[in-house]
Amino acid sequence: MNPPDTENIYLPKLAVLDRVVDDIPEVKTFYWRFEDPAAQAAFQHFRPGQFAQISLFGVGEFPASLPPSPTEKETFFTIRQVGSCTAALHELKPGRKFAVRGPYGNGFPMENYQGMNLVFVAGGIGLIPLRSCIVYALEHRAKYGRIQVFYGAKSPGELMYLSDLRAWEKSAGMECHLTVDRAGNSWRGHVGVVGSLFKKPGVEVPVDNTIAFVCGPPVMFRFVIKDLLALGFQETRIVSTLERYMKCGVGKCGHCCIGVAYICVDGPVFTYEQIKKLGEDI
Amino acid sequence: MKARIVASADVLKIVDLLRARGYEVVAPFCGRGRDSYFDTVTDENRPRVRIHLPNPYYPPKRFVFPHIERLMAVRAQNGDLKMEPTYDERPRAIFGIRSCDVAGLWHLDRFYLGRDFRDIYYEKRRKNLFLVNVVCTDPARDIGEDCFCLCADTGPAARDHFDLQLMDLGGGEFMAVAGTAAGEGLFAEPIFHKGTAAHLERRHAILDAVRKRFKTITSWFSATVRYVSQGTIPDKTWEEIGNRCLECGGCTYVCPACTCFTVSDRQVGPGEVERVRIWDSCALSGFTRMAGGFNPRRAVHDRRNRRFFRKLAYYFIQRELDMACVGCGRCAAVCHGDIGMPSVVEMIRRAEPEPAKK
Amino acid sequence: METAGNRIVGAYPSMSHPANQGKICVRGWHVHEVASSPDRLTSPLLRHNGHFQPVSWDEALGFVASRLGQIRDQYGPDTVAFLDSPRCSNEEAYLLQKLARTLIGTNNVDHGAGVYGNNSVNVLLDMIGVPASTNSIGELARSAVIIVDGVDLGRQLPTIGGWVIRARLNGARLIVIDSRRHRVAENADIFLQIKPGSESLLYGALAKVIVDRGLMDLPFVKARCEGCEAFLAGVQDYDLLQAAEGCGVPASLIEAAGLAYGRAPSAAILYSTGIEARDEDSIRGLINLALLTGNLGKEGAGVFPLAEHNNLQGVCDMGMLPDRLPGYQAVTDSKARAALEAVWRAKVPAQPGVGAETLFEAGGRKPLKALWLGRYDPVSTAFFGAPDQVLDRCELVVVQHLFMTDTTDYADVVLPTTAFGEERVTYTSTERRIQIAERVIAPPSGPMPAWEQLTRLARALGAQWNYQSSAEVMQEIGEVIPFYSGASHDNLTRDYGRQWPCTTDRPLGTAMLFADGELERPFKFVPLARPARPFGNPEDFPFTLVFGRSLYYWHQNALIRHSETLKREYRLLLLDYPEGFVEINPDDARRLDIRDGGRIRLTTPSGSLVSTARVTSEVRTGTAFVPYFVRQLKPELLGAMGQSRSLVPVRVEKEGA
Repeated sequence: MNPPDTENIYLPKLAVLDRVVDDIPEVKTFYWRFEDPAAQAAFQHFRPGQFAQISLFGVGEFPASLPPSPTEKETFFTIRQVGSCTAALHELKPGRKFAVRGPYGNGFPMENYQGMNLVFVAGGIGLIPLRSCIVYALEHRAKYGRIQVFYGAKSPGELMYLSDLRAWEKSAGMECHLTVDRAGNSWRGHVGVVGSLFKKPGVEVPVDNTIAFVCGPPVMFRFVIKDLLALGFQETRIVSTLERYMKCGVGKCGHCCIGVAYICVDGPVFTYEQIKKLGEDI
Repeated sequence: MKARIVASADVLKIVDLLRARGYEVVAPFCGRGRDSYFDTVTDENRPRVRIHLPNPYYPPKRFVFPHIERLMAVRAQNGDLKMEPTYDERPRAIFGIRSCDVAGLWHLDRFYLGRDFRDIYYEKRRKNLFLVNVVCTDPARDIGEDCFCLCADTGPAARDHFDLQLMDLGGGEFMAVAGTAAGEGLFAEPIFHKGTAAHLERRHAILDAVRKRFKTITSWFSATVRYVSQGTIPDKTWEEIGNRCLECGGCTYVCPACTCFTVSDRQVGPGEVERVRIWDSCALSGFTRMAGGFNPRRAVHDRRNRRFFRKLAYYFIQRELDMACVGCGRCAAVCHGDIGMPSVVEMIRRAEPEPAKK
Repeated sequence: METAGNRIVGAYPSMSHPANQGKICVRGWHVHEVASSPDRLTSPLLRHNGHFQPVSWDEALGFVASRLGQIRDQYGPDTVAFLDSPRCSNEEAYLLQKLARTLIGTNNVDHGAGVYGNNSVNVLLDMIGVPASTNSIGELARSAVIIVDGVDLGRQLPTIGGWVIRARLNGARLIVIDSRRHRVAENADIFLQIKPGSESLLYGALAKVIVDRGLMDLPFVKARCEGCEAFLAGVQDYDLLQAAEGCGVPASLIEAAGLAYGRAPSAAILYSTGIEARDEDSIRGLINLALLTGNLGKEGAGVFPLAEHNNLQGVCDMGMLPDRLPGYQAVTDSKARAALEAVWRAKVPAQPGVGAETLFEAGGRKPLKALWLGRYDPVSTAFFGAPDQVLDRCELVVVQHLFMTDTTDYADVVLPTTAFGEERVTYTSTERRIQIAERVIAPPSGPMPAWEQLTRLARALGAQWNYQSSAEVMQEIGEVIPFYSGASHDNLTRDYGRQWPCTTDRPLGTAMLFADGELERPFKFVPLARPARPFGNPEDFPFTLVFGRSLYYWHQNALIRHSETLKREYRLLLLDYPEGFVEINPDDARRLDIRDGGRIRLTTPSGSLVSTARVTSEVRTGTAFVPYFVRQLKPELLGAMGQSRSLVPVRVEKEGA
């Protein structure tokens, strides 16, 4: 699903930063809205898994996943500071203006998964794009079967969206299993890589009629895919969102092209089967 | 096809006709030695416009997709931001664009105006562009050593996608073919006369003769497309190619069918920023580097591999309805290590294919 | 250059240019971005109370003239120095040294690459009488054998790298000598990946192979050279097997290389005079080889001291050297001085001056009070001494440049210059080709061509300089430098420039030197030193630390910084390794359990340092390579050893857990 044919695909719309909330070190969540309520209303129809382009004029533009579900009231980005553009965003004060274009990308086809079980596997900041799907599914709880979240980070201090995690752990309508690579002092939970959660006592991962969502760093991705295939998942039932250097977000500049796909228009969401067929290693 | 005859003595008057109709006309001029370039026609340089000369190496794609282009200016005023996109909608005519470059523009049309989004900057420039294609008929002057439009099936006479096509028939006459209504509109001018079947015969004869003058007429491309699409080219071949690449980016800059660009913000005054887009090249290492350091195409042979995959893989040919190579030969001309398209096609054909990769 | 209105919006090569034939490097494809960069300086700046204020040209130049005069009179002419970049045009370099010599009275003139390249000038003048490439770049297509010694053509001189690769594809045999396996080395027929610092040993062994196998060009040696006997005596001290061990390459390869070079009907040797410093012995070694085999004065042969900057050759020709006048006569040569004084109608000081390396020494020999820097940014790019400290102690620092740089932080006056495409000036390429750079757009209002600034400054200093155009400056250059006497702007615009000697009776220039057999003086063999004991490392310090200067140089370059794509490309390493890096070979890394990006400790007899490892197969085993911009490594590691050594024995270990 693409945004309506705007006149100038490179022209963003003005947005206002409402408030900033710290998450894990180097990561902040930025609550914002379009200045023009009509633009905000149109934007609200985004799909989980889509992304938008954030403009900090004078510094540059960069892509950012949309972590809120389209059903949530507030729109926000969760951004880690890695380069000059993200650094400029981190310095922006509430009330200041910047600009946004989007939503772009294919997104997760959540309607197609109705009636199925949903298994979410995330590592580190990979939880950011998957959060949108999880919250969306919870908002439409009756339409989906079992919902399981498996999430891991390097250390307890690097687990993201802590308040959401705590709520999901407590929620009766879903399972949420957490793990860390290194425990530290006060961690009482599971220790190990994310894939090890599949074998945690009491965990039973549904395979039939189930979609597995995977998002995380390349190494984690490789191992989790292996684990899921070993559990019996078909390649068409594993979906992920890929990341590449992006400049235009609309399939023209060429930077995000992997093999036959432009990540910004053909993706960023692909099944594992599609990933294997791209024609280039990811 | 709608065709007319125009005397050789009159053919350059087409430039004047277009200028009179309000077009900014760019035409080819000779430089030093074998140099040639497109430049805006003025009263001063009009006598120096040429028809038969080497194809300018700076590709005419820059008239629809400039080397540097301002996308918008952004001004900060009282805490507010004002964005002003800048477009170039000037009516422009390219007089003397070769058939290979016409195919290149069509490829860009399909890329920038098709697919998922329309590029408005490209569209505005392209909409007002009038193309006068000149067929390469003079082996000594028009056709370069590196040309291979025949292999790419784009020349020597373009079949479509021009407004007007001119072909030197010899004997003091040119044939003018209209490709669009706009082109046909010029036929009302007195310099155009009706032709005869004999003219058509001359056209066919000349085209036949010209085709024979190309170095090799091969169907190497079809085999290469197959190998590239199936992923059966040995790694060793890509390494050999990579060893000869000096990462200058020239091949992508001169290619009529290359479309990549980067976008950058620059301060141009107090409180004013411009966002520009600039030609970029997948030949360069930083093209795919992500903030944070991961670079999926760090090695030079991976980038070479990518270039030819994008140019030749069947998937893209299906999407764009054409190879992303028009046979102009510019990449071969500017390459330090002689790994332009013709050489790479030959290397791929000569290599022992490996079993198809999954 | 492609222009639109008054902006340069594109650049593309000339297909017919004899030196590049339309093939240029990535920097060339982006040269148009520099002129249009929004960071251009637009006004002279004068420092008042610590801050720069824009001032008029008259005020700026008037201030500089009066301060220069005061400092010269108060402290003496030798407390003033003038340093140029090897990118400066001929016209501005010529006027700068003329101003220094006649109006201030000092020979303290040098160019930024002098510390690295001037020894090549001296050796070439001594042995063959001409400090420049003896043949033309295009002739490489007709060389039977090409030796590329110690220069990464792919990174530094891609256009020449292309000639070499294409020559090889057409049947030439390519011999690469380098401790690094660079892109062109991957294409070599014979790759001598020698231990750093063993070049002289290698050349001695190569000479021995050629002599022992009867491959000397005896007629050539007899007719055109002197000193051969002493040289041959020295060659006998070399032994192929010992050399192989000392160089760390198989003896069979050395023999094959010697045979190939000796048997070739025409063979060329390329080396670099860029920032990669070579010791004089190794340069003598390769010139001796060319003399031994008669590889001068014929097509496809020759010696190419490659200049890595667009006008390195030119600024040296113009006399931006502390011990040489324009045209390379020695400053101490009274006849040469007298001839120059007659044309300039002013006195020229007789004492040689000091060069940049001495000037920037941390504890300077003679304190420097005033410094003029023409487009030169030593704080960023000088890999020697302590330029920042020296600049700090000066009472007057004047910087001419296009942009603010790290050096302008220390400047009292900043003078904006015009960019490529905005002024009509000449540059001399590495094949002696004097070329005109045309003015294609008007400069933005504010900057002034550097040659014009110097003319006005000279007048402010009381001289009668009346150059109305850069062409007039060039005319005077022709009067002063015999081999430029025919190189008027007029002549230079007719073709693709002219290769010097371009004289009035030879107005088309000279593609190849020494062709006619007419010699002003015989070529000179210089006997080899006795073979150095193979560079053995003490047991505790088994690695050799190499300070790489030219490689990765481009990061700091002001022009690169103002081009979007180039900035991205050349910054990659800085972004991936923000604190710098030390390169080691993967085999060594494996052995030492060091991974790419991991911490690595280097220990020398004098000190130790921790840095980040960059594992690359380009580097020779047993070698650790440090890019020059990691300057803090030098004093920490070298400590009391001082700064003149470029090879240091070192121990390499993985650092920490």
